[in-house]
Amino acid sequence: MNIYVCIKQVPDTETKIKLNPDQSGIDTAGIKWIISPYDELAIEESLRLRDKNPGSTVTVLAAGPARVVESMRTALAMGADNAIHVELPEAADNNWVAKSLAGALKKEPKVDIIFTGKEAIDDGAAQVSQLVAEYLGISYVTVVLGIEYLPSGVKCKREIEGGSFEMVEASYPVLIAAQKGLNEPRYASLPNIMKAKKKEIKVLKTSDVGTSESDQKIRYKNYQLPPPKQAGKKISGDPAAQAKELARLLHEEAKVV
Amino acid sequence: MTWQTYLFLLLAGAAFSYSAYRFSLLYRLMKGHQGKANRLDHIPERILTTIANVLGQKAVLKKRAAGIMHATIFWGFIIISVGTLEQFVGTLYQGASFEFIGERAYSSLLIVQDSLTAAVLLAVGYAFYRRLIVRPEGLGKSKDATIVLILTGSLMLSILLMNGFHILGSEPWYQGSMPVSNLVAHLLKGFGLTPEFNIAMSTLFKWVHMCIVLGFSVYIPSSKHLHIVAAGPNTFLKTLPREKGMKPINFEDESIQQYGAAKVTDLSWKDALDYYSCTECGRCQDLCPAHNTAKPLTPKMLILDLKNNLYNNKEKILAGKIDEVSPIIDEHVTEDVIWACTSCRACEIACPVFIEHTDKIYDIRRNLVMMESKFPAEVQTVFKNMETNASPWAFASSDRANWADGLNVKTMAEDSQVDVLLWVGCAGSYDDRNKKVLRAFASLLKKANVKFAILGTEEQCTGDPARRIGNEYLYQTLAKANIETLNRYQVKKIVTACPHCFNTIKNEYKDFGGNYEVHHHSQFIAQLVTQGKIKPTKTLDESVTFHDSCYLGRWNNIYEQPRAVLQSLPAINLVEMKSNQDQSMCCGAGGGRMWMEEKIGDRINVARTEQALATKAGIVAASCPFCMTMLTDGVKTKEMQDKVKVMDIAELMDQATP
Repeated sequence: MNIYVCIKQVPDTETKIKLNPDQSGIDTAGIKWIISPYDELAIEESLRLRDKNPGSTVTVLAAGPARVVESMRTALAMGADNAIHVELPEAADNNWVAKSLAGALKKEPKVDIIFTGKEAIDDGAAQVSQLVAEYLGISYVTVVLGIEYLPSGVKCKREIEGGSFEMVEASYPVLIAAQKGLNEPRYASLPNIMKAKKKEIKVLKTSDVGTSESDQKIRYKNYQLPPPKQAGKKISGDPAAQAKELARLLHEEAKVV
Repeated sequence: MTWQTYLFLLLAGAAFSYSAYRFSLLYRLMKGHQGKANRLDHIPERILTTIANVLGQKAVLKKRAAGIMHATIFWGFIIISVGTLEQFVGTLYQGASFEFIGERAYSSLLIVQDSLTAAVLLAVGYAFYRRLIVRPEGLGKSKDATIVLILTGSLMLSILLMNGFHILGSEPWYQGSMPVSNLVAHLLKGFGLTPEFNIAMSTLFKWVHMCIVLGFSVYIPSSKHLHIVAAGPNTFLKTLPREKGMKPINFEDESIQQYGAAKVTDLSWKDALDYYSCTECGRCQDLCPAHNTAKPLTPKMLILDLKNNLYNNKEKILAGKIDEVSPIIDEHVTEDVIWACTSCRACEIACPVFIEHTDKIYDIRRNLVMMESKFPAEVQTVFKNMETNASPWAFASSDRANWADGLNVKTMAEDSQVDVLLWVGCAGSYDDRNKKVLRAFASLLKKANVKFAILGTEEQCTGDPARRIGNEYLYQTLAKANIETLNRYQVKKIVTACPHCFNTIKNEYKDFGGNYEVHHHSQFIAQLVTQGKIKPTKTLDESVTFHDSCYLGRWNNIYEQPRAVLQSLPAINLVEMKSNQDQSMCCGAGGGRMWMEEKIGDRINVARTEQALATKAGIVAASCPFCMTMLTDGVKTKEMQDKVKVMDIAELMDQATP
């Protein structure tokens, strides 16, 4: 099988986000970058699928500035066979990224299955997976918790609202967006880390994948940090009075009910 | 030449050839190991250690009764062997003896031999009593031990009977020099036997004795009694300094394909010598915190299981088929066994023949982690945190200096012209309870007018948790980054409140080009008190018990200074727990256990807390952030937090100092 994984490099969850002085984006200086955790699930799933199907290969793709190569090395160390880096500027939006990834995938001789995370943990947009599938004109299943691989396609268990699940069948080629619970991503072994350092990463420019700045549909103008967290409020009194006061606060101060 | 000469030549020839063959196999098994161990440095120190511990039986005598028993048998074996040699010579050349050394010398030798024979018999009797009646748990059951004791007892009895009959039959001039044998002769006299019969019986018992000795030489290589040959060399070849560091792996060396030990042969020849030296005395196990809280690890069984693994793979190793050697991890040495170790080194300190258990565990962990990515699931987060944020806990490295907010503590970037660098450590930086310890220590340093600075956000985890868990690669990444920072500021002197940081920077950074004068804060504070720079005056008026940190005590031999700090506090009553100093029990956090869940057996921290509570002290003093966490949790589990406080020695000193 020809297996592909699209990953995104995101700031580590512990990062204290700072903004650029002109508020056009976040200040990337000093940020520790990691693979978005949902994308790690996608990588793990691709490796397991490959290992069950001898002769298969896993190719990892990422679109973004030069820094994303580091995360691609991590994916290679986990066990991916090949890597393709599509060079895009820092501010590229979901559409440009998705169209570029799709462009890179179209250049591949045969694509059987594509894995992604259900969303990236930085912007949490959950757009790129679907957009990639749309640009490729293939089926996609998102928020997937379990996959059964059949000869002609997949049977996926996906999470839907209200804590319920639904079963979805789709035929190859298919894109699957992973949800937490699908698997436990592995820790790269040292021999694989060493091998990953020497693997070649194929670089594609926007011109190679048929996209340009005009594919950027969103322009970010004024980033704002969320207001600082306020101290908690303790409501006293007997249970009835507490409930009444809580309802009043939710209605009048928080304005949520 | 008589029939005796021929018989002896035949028997001795057969026994010694077989024995030599068996020893050569043991030697070839040692040579079949791929790991390296260079142990031929500091020869004079090694000789002295060997004299003290082999001839002087120093380590063995740490356990009084059993030690005296062993020393008696050991010295009996040495002196009586002179007599055995005399028998061999006398049998080869009929009538030859050691009488040529002079009448007085020969008589003295006989007196010593004769009395030691009786003493060894008594010691063997005590050994039987211990094995059959007392039955200490660590000793376990051993058929081998029973056989050896019966043989040793028979050796002594055969000597006494040989000499008794000899005295009766031949009345030699030196009979007065054999008081115990004389007593035997006196008893035998009652049978009224003829001199010819007595001479024949003496010859018979000489042969009984010689045959047992020859039998022993055949039996030793395949029994636990191999220690009488291996323990001496093992003592000579032991890791010398008490301040022990882990050995590094050279990741630049591309010829290394295997990191850590997957198979016994990945360990070193010295590890094999360790197994050969093990006498199964169980002292290691008696003090093991994992074993004592019902975990599957016992250091003794680990060594025996590794020895069995080696023997089971004997044919393959001798045939050079190293690839076919079965893995270490099997139904005996399970992954749970390997992860249960807290690296407290109680086993190594207790071992009378200097077996090094922890190195083997580290090597096995290295293989599991780096080659196979197998480790307790919760550890993956720890590794990732260390990789991205240089801390085992998930905190932003930009927050590393927040603990010092409002204290006006300078960073090296702001002012590097200081007396000493304060190495904060991750616990001091991020853990709420330990932040208070660091604030107290910083306050103390200010009171003593010590000019210090911190690295602030430039400090990274020392890498110790990764190294102890087996991720040497991650350790070296962090260690090298820290050394680069420290050397950039030309740091000479470092003080830290964390024994794990202390041990790593002091003993393990030098392998990567980091050479500093490193102090633990207990040493530093003790010195400030001695120099009169700190004058504790406020009365504490409380009983305090001190819990030894393994990485301060057993790893670095620091027992006095933290106690000196506590004793300098006015009106303090220092009470010791039952197990203290090098016999102390680990809190359960060492060896990376701090970041692993304790799923098997009882909780180590609770067991240790119970020992602390038994002293009735109102304060449990710690000198390590991990001990602090473990004991604080233990006190809470025992619901004693309103009566007993766990405090760092720096906090106590800061409170007492105006």
